[in-house]
Amino acid sequence: MKTIARIESPGQLTTIQDFGRAGLRHLGVPQGGAADRVSLALANASVGNACRTPALECVLTGLSLEFQTDIAFAIAGADMRPCLTGEAVSMAKAIVAKPGDKLEMGGAKEGATAYIAFAGGVAGARVMNSTATYLPGRFGGFSGRALRNGDKLRSANYESGAPREITAHYCPRLGHDWVLRACEGPDVSRLHPTLVERFFSGKFSASDRWSRMGLKLDGAQLKHETGAMASSAVYPGTVQLPPDGAPFLLAADAQTTGGYPRIAQVIAADLPLIGQIRPGDRLWFRRTTPDEARETSALRTSFYEAVAPGFSFI
Amino acid sequence: MTIIRDLSIVPFGDYGWLASFENTADQISGALAANHAAQKLLNSGKFIDVTPAIASIAIRFNPETLAADDAKEMLHRAIEGAASDKTPAPRAHIDIPVLYGGEAGPDFDWLCAHAGFTAEKLIAAHTNAPYRVAMLGFAPGFAYLGPLAKPLQAPRLAEPRQSVPQGSVGVAGAFTGVYALSSPGGWRIIGRTPKRLFNKHARDPFVIRAGDEVRFSPITEEEFARLEATP
Repeated sequence: MKTIARIESPGQLTTIQDFGRAGLRHLGVPQGGAADRVSLALANASVGNACRTPALECVLTGLSLEFQTDIAFAIAGADMRPCLTGEAVSMAKAIVAKPGDKLEMGGAKEGATAYIAFAGGVAGARVMNSTATYLPGRFGGFSGRALRNGDKLRSANYESGAPREITAHYCPRLGHDWVLRACEGPDVSRLHPTLVERFFSGKFSASDRWSRMGLKLDGAQLKHETGAMASSAVYPGTVQLPPDGAPFLLAADAQTTGGYPRIAQVIAADLPLIGQIRPGDRLWFRRTTPDEARETSALRTSFYEAVAPGFSFI
Repeated sequence: MTIIRDLSIVPFGDYGWLASFENTADQISGALAANHAAQKLLNSGKFIDVTPAIASIAIRFNPETLAADDAKEMLHRAIEGAASDKTPAPRAHIDIPVLYGGEAGPDFDWLCAHAGFTAEKLIAAHTNAPYRVAMLGFAPGFAYLGPLAKPLQAPRLAEPRQSVPQGSVGVAGAFTGVYALSSPGGWRIIGRTPKRLFNKHARDPFVIRAGDEVRFSPITEEEFARLEATP
């Protein structure tokens, strides 16, 4: 396996991610995978990889690395001002690096996650059918952990085709305000109707309690006294409402079951946005119905499939 | 035959349905029925994932390959079928050796006081009868086992621990549970097993599966050290 690059500075939290391990929730195993699948798919498509090929996910700040071989790479998602040996790197565009070239990135001003894809994919531990790093279980990806200084990335040697041109309208629009479309969650009937109304009309901000598992939201007062519930399924995009009234929005590494009332479920098409919310950003939940959401998700799926064949939101 | 009351099926976002039912006479038979129905749904290969729990099953489907109404109907039929079937016998009987108390079980003394039991009596109560695995959830391979003897039932810790070592055995509410991997957790930890419950490279990575029968047996520190050293 050829060495792609050596990490000189890993950034705040850089892990290897793909589309995760689907279909194992009955074993308590979260799907995991990229926090923003769209950006991972676009980075991969840019270098001609299949959309779910393992790549690097950088959170909030980017990394620095030195290339050890001639290889095409592309970056998509949050703009962490990447430079290749001093030259600015465009987003979602394949660039061929030479041995000794240095990729340096800073912090993102908008959005939270950036993806660096290499032609052929990055190699990692494949566990339960996925290379995604699951940090709480210390498995998958680079020895089950975040990257460190001196780590050497190797090529997975997956087949890759010709680079694809990704026009700007495919790239997610980032900012500090997010409107997430959501269906009423399965436990709304247990909660007082005015609480549910306050949730769907309220403004929230993302607290600094942030992880790949989920984020705590500050904002509207939603305290309640709904009693304990038997543990039951939760997913990425589920909004749980603990009695203290601070909603918890579950993200890519969402555990499989939880015991708090589920007030809302973010629709499939908006799940990638959750991966771009940074602490301090403002967000709203716009109520929609499952039927309407399925139409939206179908349209958005075919939109991305045009450049990333095989793309899916879940 | 399991009695399932007040079955309701509601949407869970645009890709999912959640079926919930009232607890039957005991939580274990309800959970075993949910697991039995989940196996049927998993075997159909039509779903993204199936998540059985104590008194519920959630499914996710791909609306491009399975109509929402058909998915709901399949879920409904699987639960009705599981309820009328005989409760399935355990697939496996698993022995879990446990070192109780001390560093392996930081909440052991608390639970003795809570139950009003001596150490010996607590161990006897916990190891007395076999348990059924009601569900796996919350963390990879984490097993909820029951029924747990009434005096051993206790509320979770108010503040969950940041990290509970793999193999830890705890109690919370009506269940006793085993951590297959290290993870944060709020269960009261009374012991730990040296048995490896997770092998990430195996075809079946988790030793304990939903529906299995599990029996705990007490071991000494020496036995723990010896078993831990044997691969």
